Amino acid sequence: MGGTESIPAGQANQDALYREAANHFGPALERVARAYEADSENRRDLSQDIHFQLWRSFQRYDSRCSLRTWVYRVAHHVAVSHVVRERRTFSNLVGLEELEATPDKADAQAAANQRMDLNRLSALIQRLKPLDRQVIISYLEDMDAASIGEITGLSPANVAMKIHRIKNILAKQFHEKRHEGDIDAG
Amino acid sequence: MQDDLPETELRAMWLNQPTEASKMTSKLIEQRLRELRAKTRKKLIGSFAGPFVAGMFCAYGLKEFAGLGLALQVPFACAVAWSLAGVYFLNRGMWPAAISGDMGLSTGLEFCRREIGRHRDLVRRVLVWSFGPIMLAIATFVVALVMVSTRERGIFPNGLPFLTLVVVWVVAWFVIRLREQRGLQREIDELNDVETNNRRN
Repeated sequence: MGGTESIPAGQANQDALYREAANHFGPALERVARAYEADSENRRDLSQDIHFQLWRSFQRYDSRCSLRTWVYRVAHHVAVSHVVRERRTFSNLVGLEELEATPDKADAQAAANQRMDLNRLSALIQRLKPLDRQVIISYLEDMDAASIGEITGLSPANVAMKIHRIKNILAKQFHEKRHEGDIDAG
Repeated sequence: MQDDLPETELRAMWLNQPTEASKMTSKLIEQRLRELRAKTRKKLIGSFAGPFVAGMFCAYGLKEFAGLGLALQVPFACAVAWSLAGVYFLNRGMWPAAISGDMGLSTGLEFCRREIGRHRDLVRRVLVWSFGPIMLAIATFVVALVMVSTRERGIFPNGLPFLTLVVVWVVAWFVIRLREQRGLQREIDELNDVETNNRRN
């Protein structure tokens, strides 16, 4: 990788770090993009942007945090920036609390007969405010509370509380519907 | 939490979803850099919209209502000067197309707050430095129309529907922007609360 006018002196290290990150976390970066952007064209664009900004960010990487934390932070930040610019405001997005307290009746009715699938999970994540979205994605990425705290900046207690809510939401949104589906099928 | 919650299954579904392999090549990097520069150029051009619109109103107003003299020239000159100053302030606070390279050092909480704060400041700057001078130019223009119509009936009654539409548009735009700004401030306050909670825990 090279040949651009803005590539700095430590380019070899930057490229090596980027290659390592892309090899290890490539699919995870795609999943993050999916959690932030529903439209496939925009998602491809966002994904490329995440990779580009990640490559740029390795100019400043100093091993103060793990490579995984750095990669996820950058990916989330680029995606959050994308959401802020595209939606202008988060007023249509909800927090975990609202999602937990007020299940969307219309959505529930419409989705009652649909099988539990990835699109529904992605749609649920895309309704969340960025910080809650970061927690739920990290949780689904199989991270522990300490890693989630490191990425989001939330305290362990805050992370634990949000994970508890996430589990409740997932139970409500998926388990109950699956159960309804079983009854319908029976 | 229920014991039979399919969270493991959900997690497996999430982790095993099909993904496309995407990697940066030198060609893609060059393309992204070009796009970033193009975005910055577009924003720069966009910041001249204020002086352009204010200037159009001033030029047309001075041409049509030349007889009104200083009463028009002073506010029109103020509107143009204000909007030109606005170009500087809008560009100074412009949202960079490229995100800062050290973003990996900040947490999600810090970054979200900074990004929303930046958006709120941009909305505020546009209101003060772009919307403001345009409003002054339009208001001066309307006052000129009223002054002329008191002397010779003509333009004002015929132009009344158009002026009403302009006023409705202006008010609606202003209200939407204010709401947007309030919404962004609410988001920042929520994130501040989260941080306060963080410190307590």
